[in-house]
Amino acid sequence: MSEMKITILCCHYTNQATAEDFAGIPAKIEVKRYPCSGKIEVADILRALEDDAEGVLVAGCEKSSCHNRSGSQRAEKRTAAAQKILEEIGMEPERVQMAFVPRLETGVLVEATKRLFETLLDLKSKEGTSS
Amino acid sequence: MIIAERKPISRILAMIEPYERVAVLGCRGCVAICSAGGDREVEIVSAALRLARKRAGRPLTVVEETLVRQCDPEYLTGLEELAKKVDAVVSLACGVGVNFIADRFPELRIYPGVDTSFYGANPALGEWEEKCRGCGDCILDFTGGLCPIARCAKNLLNGPCGGSQDGKCEIRPEVPCVWHQIYERLKARGELERMMKLFPAKDWRPAGHDGPRVRTREDLKVGN
Repeated sequence: MSEMKITILCCHYTNQATAEDFAGIPAKIEVKRYPCSGKIEVADILRALEDDAEGVLVAGCEKSSCHNRSGSQRAEKRTAAAQKILEEIGMEPERVQMAFVPRLETGVLVEATKRLFETLLDLKSKEGTSS
Repeated sequence: MIIAERKPISRILAMIEPYERVAVLGCRGCVAICSAGGDREVEIVSAALRLARKRAGRPLTVVEETLVRQCDPEYLTGLEELAKKVDAVVSLACGVGVNFIADRFPELRIYPGVDTSFYGANPALGEWEEKCRGCGDCILDFTGGLCPIARCAKNLLNGPCGGSQDGKCEIRPEVPCVWHQIYERLKARGELERMMKLFPAKDWRPAGHDGPRVRTREDLKVGN
């Protein structure tokens, strides 16, 4: 079975997590950093899925501490827009999740990634039973 | 501006089902301003179509392009070349753009990626409201600038109707009764006598009920 790929699209300020931090998650973790999570577009999320990610985590600062005031709230709305498109094409919207992460607290980001990983495992097992 | 809304991706997928290569063609006119068919929406629709088809095991090649406008011939000159590269085009322009391209490029299979809705204003980010119906016989001079054709559910020329309650419309109670608004505005201006004008039954031919409308200005035409 090929390794599951998860793409994290996140704010540059949110974290400095490295591959070592994600070592406990048995998946290929790709991190793409943006100047602000408000810069992450719906198309970026969809393209990550196109590029074989099974799930995408959008991570931005906590709502009260966004460097650009409302960037992470914008990211939350774009995540919802991407989820709606996934529904339209028959994909599970929970493949895309939003996480608000305290600045530089890598542990919170890793936990959110683990939750997404577990969601994706769950989806995979359902696929297995329905086919 | 003309307001449009993206069609569900599943609907667009059904239109292009037989094809392997399509172009998603945006327009930087009204549909870009109302966030339905500009560069950003071209990216989203293209990515969604590719993703859906990849998962269905029938990968799709998408050419992404956005024209300055799809309703002026000078901006369509590149379409002939584009048509050679793709099996079909999904236009994110309003219905005007789709029709105009369909008229000029009969061989090109062009499909609408948006539903064209109304002429509207943009009172706040993410909100659009209908303000004009394009009826071809403007009476805003009598109504304080508020249009009863576009903004009254019954298009009444002599309102309000008996269903106007507390300044709200009986059809959708969250909508202000435009005739109530017209009355209040004219009253505040001391121009209530304008309400005494009775409009006869409207001639809907200038609104398009006489077939497609055409406007010409001889002084702008080139040649004879």
